[in-house]
Amino acid sequence: MAVSTAPQELDQEAAALGRSEDAAATKRAKRGKLVRYLAMPGFLLLLNIATFLWLSGQDLDSIERRTLTADNLIGKAQEHVWLTLLSTTFVLLLAIPFGILATRPRYRRFAPGIIGLGNAGQAIPSFGMLALLFYLFRVTPWLPSTGTLPVVVALVGYSFLPILRNTMVGLDQVDRSVLEAGRGMGMSERRVLRRIELPLAVPVILAGIRTALVLNVGTATLAFLFGGGGLGDVVYNGLSLRRIPITIVGAVLVATLALLVDYIASLIEEKLTPKGL
Amino acid sequence: MSDIMIELKELTKRYPGTETPAVDRLTMEIPRGEIVVFVGPSGCGKTTSLKMINRIIEPTSGQIILDGEDVTDVNPDQLRRRIGYVIQQIGLFPHVTIEDNVATVPNLLGWDRDRTKARVDELLDVVGLDPDVYRNRYPKELSGGQRQRVGVARALAADPPVLLMDEPFGAIDPITRTRLQNEFLRLQQELKKTICFVTHDIDEAIKMGDRIAILQERSIPAQFATPEEILTQPANDFVADFVGSGSTLKRLKLTRVRDVNITTDALLGRIDEDKHVLRQRLQESDWTAMLLLDAEKRPSRWLRAPDFLHDRPVAEMGLPARAMIEPQATLSDALEEMLLGSAGVAIVVDGRGAFQGILDVDDIITSIQTMRDANAEFYRASKLIDPATAIA
Ligand SMILES: Nc1ncnc2c1ncn2[C@@H]1O[C@H](COP(=O)(O)OP(=O)(O)O)[C@@H](O)[C@H]1O
Ligand SMILES: [Mg+2]
Repeated sequence: MAVSTAPQELDQEAAALGRSEDAAATKRAKRGKLVRYLAMPGFLLLLNIATFLWLSGQDLDSIERRTLTADNLIGKAQEHVWLTLLSTTFVLLLAIPFGILATRPRYRRFAPGIIGLGNAGQAIPSFGMLALLFYLFRVTPWLPSTGTLPVVVALVGYSFLPILRNTMVGLDQVDRSVLEAGRGMGMSERRVLRRIELPLAVPVILAGIRTALVLNVGTATLAFLFGGGGLGDVVYNGLSLRRIPITIVGAVLVATLALLVDYIASLIEEKLTPKGL
Repeated sequence: MSDIMIELKELTKRYPGTETPAVDRLTMEIPRGEIVVFVGPSGCGKTTSLKMINRIIEPTSGQIILDGEDVTDVNPDQLRRRIGYVIQQIGLFPHVTIEDNVATVPNLLGWDRDRTKARVDELLDVVGLDPDVYRNRYPKELSGGQRQRVGVARALAADPPVLLMDEPFGAIDPITRTRLQNEFLRLQQELKKTICFVTHDIDEAIKMGDRIAILQERSIPAQFATPEEILTQPANDFVADFVGSGSTLKRLKLTRVRDVNITTDALLGRIDEDKHVLRQRLQESDWTAMLLLDAEKRPSRWLRAPDFLHDRPVAEMGLPARAMIEPQATLSDALEEMLLGSAGVAIVVDGRGAFQGILDVDDIITSIQTMRDANAEFYRASKLIDPATAIA
């Protein structure tokens, strides 16, 4: 809001609120915001340039040169992003409606149990969970043991609980009196959900989505277990062939992607949070 | 058109898992255009009774008749659009602007954009908020009192004939509360809504109510009568206890400024008049002070003879006029203003702030005297001891 509001309007607002913020403070706040916006992309750019420069100074053997081509790395990164987006989309489609349902009056009594389960679920280490699923897919004859499907199922299974939990907590923390006012003026239950409850739960739900995205970017690194591709392949190659440059490049790219996703999610979060909150 | 707007018949609420009902066969007729206050100790079932009228709480049994129509089983959402609703927590939607908050019911009723916008502006004006300033604000940018004004505007948006208010001024500081009460009473003089008003504060009940229902537990009415009757003829010990002693002071809250003789022939001047003309007028009168009004007849400054000794423009002479009250304020409010303004007089102004007269401490004492006499008369007649003399 502050970015698009004319200075005199801001002043008026500040004065009316009994604050005496002067224009200089506003300007300082704007500059602070800009720095905050640019810090993360700047850092990631520097990290990657540094890695590239370091790599140029290395004497690479043929295996390393074959693996560390732009084509190969971009392809792996794309696979990685695709796995992340696919699984995040599915988990949102599952967990948010389920969270809404579980907080309706009819099912409300189950809510604390489900939230507790959600909290517990977050404590399971991702590698353990993936290993378990890996085994499950291997021994079940009618399930494919390789490819995108098992990876997506694993990622969805892993990020389902945090998103469900945040959706429920987000809806639960909405002030009851606001909902009562809505019902009291003749808004239907559905309208109250759509117009009041969900918008007011958005910040908490978004925080859950951001958590899930970051979880999924990280966990997608383990997709190589299922031959699902992604940047995990690069890291795994580096490790199994004992090629340190490959391992480092893979790790840097995974970290870059995770931080970038978190950064973009934070921007979206800021954008979608209702203004009055 | 019958005189009864809301009729409650044997209305009962038994919450699941409780032995005794929270509201037990409440039967009551609420006259059209009046403020009926439900007052009683905490937990006696006031809120439950009120919320059964718009079926936020569904009655276990009994009937609700609204303007001759049995609404006990109609669609509650449709019903509620015809009934304004104000709660203590206000419950403004924090994520939308003041304009959108007030427009809630018009939007539900599918009014077109222009009509809604015009109505929102009108209502913000009515509750004393400048639409140009507040329309696009968010609730968190408003003070508690301003939010409650918006709450009232929102409840009035579609001009419902009935208003339900559950401790609407309960969470607001005392000074702002007094102001909001007075403004609301002024508004009601024009609107003539049928209002059910819940409070636990007997003073507020006496001030706001045309009629008061004093409720005992399970929402059983101990007395349903006008404030005067409740004060002078408590039906039983419960009512007498609840109303409490000090009924003279209570009556100060009952009597309104418009009901006593105020001084309307005070010495006046206009702020744009010549200094010498003003001075002469003051000297020739037997008043010790003169009240200056501005172009809109609003009180501006008090002038006394010594003020003319300094060489200042008229607009800066003397003291600024304080302690302004409106005719529907109670004598108790007036007294409070006088004490706060340390002037010994209060200036009575109309809704637009234009001068109407002056009320001083003596006027209030005179009216207390009259009340005491009337009270003593009543208590003698009913062979009771006058509590005022008994204590004194
Ligand atoms: N949802 C509820 N479930 C069970 N009991 C309730 C519920 N709401 C209120 N009560 C009980 O009903 C009685 C009346 O409550 P209420 O109408 O809120 O009283 P008041 O508004 O006069 O303080 C109280 O004893 C209260 O504990
Ligand atoms: Mg209550």
